[in-house]
Amino acid sequence: MDLKWNGEPPVVHMEGITKRFGSILALDNVDFTVERNQVMALLGDNGAGKSTLIKILTGVHKPTSGRIFFEGKEVNIESPKQARDLGIETVYQDLALVDLMSITRNFFLGRELVKHIGPLHWLDMHRMDAATREVLTDIGITVRSPRERVGKLSGGERQSVAIGRAMYFGAKLLILDEPTSALSVAETRRVLDHILEVKEKGLSVIFITHNVYHVYEVADAYTILRHGKKVGTYQRGELGVNDIAALITGEREK
Amino acid sequence: MAAEIARARSSAFHRVRQRLAEYPEAVAFISFLLIFVFFSLANENFLTPISISNILTFGSITGIVVVGVAMLMISGEFDLSVGSTFAVASYVFALTLNAGVPPVLSLLLALLVSLLLGAVNGLIVVYTRIPSFIATLGTMLAYRGIARAIGHGKFATYKGEHLFLFDVLNGSLDWLNHLFTPPAIFRLSIVWFFLIALGMTYVLLRTRYGNWVFATGGNRLGAYAQGVPVHKVLLVNFMLTGFLAGLAGVIQFAHRTSVDPLRGAGMELIAVAACVIGGVLLTGGYGTILGAVIGILTIQMLDQGLVLMQVPIQVFQAFVGLLIITAVVSNRYLARFAE
Repeated sequence: MDLKWNGEPPVVHMEGITKRFGSILALDNVDFTVERNQVMALLGDNGAGKSTLIKILTGVHKPTSGRIFFEGKEVNIESPKQARDLGIETVYQDLALVDLMSITRNFFLGRELVKHIGPLHWLDMHRMDAATREVLTDIGITVRSPRERVGKLSGGERQSVAIGRAMYFGAKLLILDEPTSALSVAETRRVLDHILEVKEKGLSVIFITHNVYHVYEVADAYTILRHGKKVGTYQRGELGVNDIAALITGEREK
Repeated sequence: MAAEIARARSSAFHRVRQRLAEYPEAVAFISFLLIFVFFSLANENFLTPISISNILTFGSITGIVVVGVAMLMISGEFDLSVGSTFAVASYVFALTLNAGVPPVLSLLLALLVSLLLGAVNGLIVVYTRIPSFIATLGTMLAYRGIARAIGHGKFATYKGEHLFLFDVLNGSLDWLNHLFTPPAIFRLSIVWFFLIALGMTYVLLRTRYGNWVFATGGNRLGAYAQGVPVHKVLLVNFMLTGFLAGLAGVIQFAHRTSVDPLRGAGMELIAVAACVIGGVLLTGGYGTILGAVIGILTIQMLDQGLVLMQVPIQVFQAFVGLLIITAVVSNRYLARFAE
């Protein structure tokens, strides 16, 4: 049964999400909503349940209980592929790219462009290389060749490639898992710029981090988790950056 | 001036090293050439049609197995049961032929059984998540047991008259062999081997499936998160490996027309050795079929060359061991400059 929404439904609405791993309660009855064209920061300390919540949304884990609505319709997300077919693109911190493969092969992984003659098919490397090169130029990465191995790129360049990939494939919701935690200040700046570009194009973004200072200036709203429970959701300007930091660690209760 | 020359030299050296690092099979190719030149100079009987055709004819049988094992290793898994599957397929082929089953049906049955044995490996690995090294160590013993059981632990020899099917599978290439005096011993298995290697190279480098194989071996969770059906890839690769092991078995049987209970034993490690020498990473995600092909031909050449030099056969294994270690160390050395 679908819920009634006032006006336009949010991109994602997760309701009463509980997840147990054996005897461990990773998430306890968490509600989480991302509006259209919103940059939502999902904040919490290590082990607060951020990644678990996102992996449920992207079909990596199944919730023990709870419901998920995408663009107002209840969905049952069974696999990452299904999440992606809905328009949810995820850039995981450490498992976004395959180091030993070329940029082009990574860019189109799982969505390779092919040419056909009857039942025979082969990769259209020419078209994939051209598209990859275009996107890389767009997001301001210069590489000698899109056939270069991803292992040769810097941390910031990899994040940019992964974000560029998500934008190229026309996602509705972009999820970034700790995108800036391993980056230099300049690289972080560039990733934040990409996020604002993504928002300008009408997408919604979930930005997961344990460090509110990385996300404070680009987020429209902040959702804080602690020990698997939701502390609250706050709009931009409602709380100062130091208040949010205190809520994350539990120095402040509410 | 001297310093400049030294720098120019070292940067040229660095460039060569970097270029080489782009090709996984570089080390294999260089060692192949070195060993080839060495034996050619060291023994006058090495560079002869008989000797070369012998290397290819024997190498092609294990080579067909190696192609499957290489695909599987690139996707990050091992199959130690290929030698046993090889034996089971040979026995199924031999026993059904002797029982009067039509030859083509008998062939299909042997291949079907190999495919199933591969599927069992794949299902065990995918569903129990135990390392394939352990899973296929188990099935290596189990399948060997099956081979012994159905053959009652004895030789099985084909008793009927010569079959046309045997010529199709592994006939002697007489028109080619008689170009030489004394005649060479090229067989059709060489053609099958190169066709299969070529086909799998195409699949690996030019199809979506090939892209998924690399991704499954290189970063399995990452590939899964990108929507690659990694379990399906693994299952298909195990089935392919089983199928090719069985195919190699029946192709060899078509030539020898008999099979013994230990047929194919030890083949699994030679296959892994060929892949490793050929630059396939043990950890998956990297390597080429061409490298593995060069790897198995190098091993076969080493065998042949040492026999010709009348080195005791036991020493052959020591040389293969040395070659594996040298190849891996060299590959590591190059890989550091690939970044």
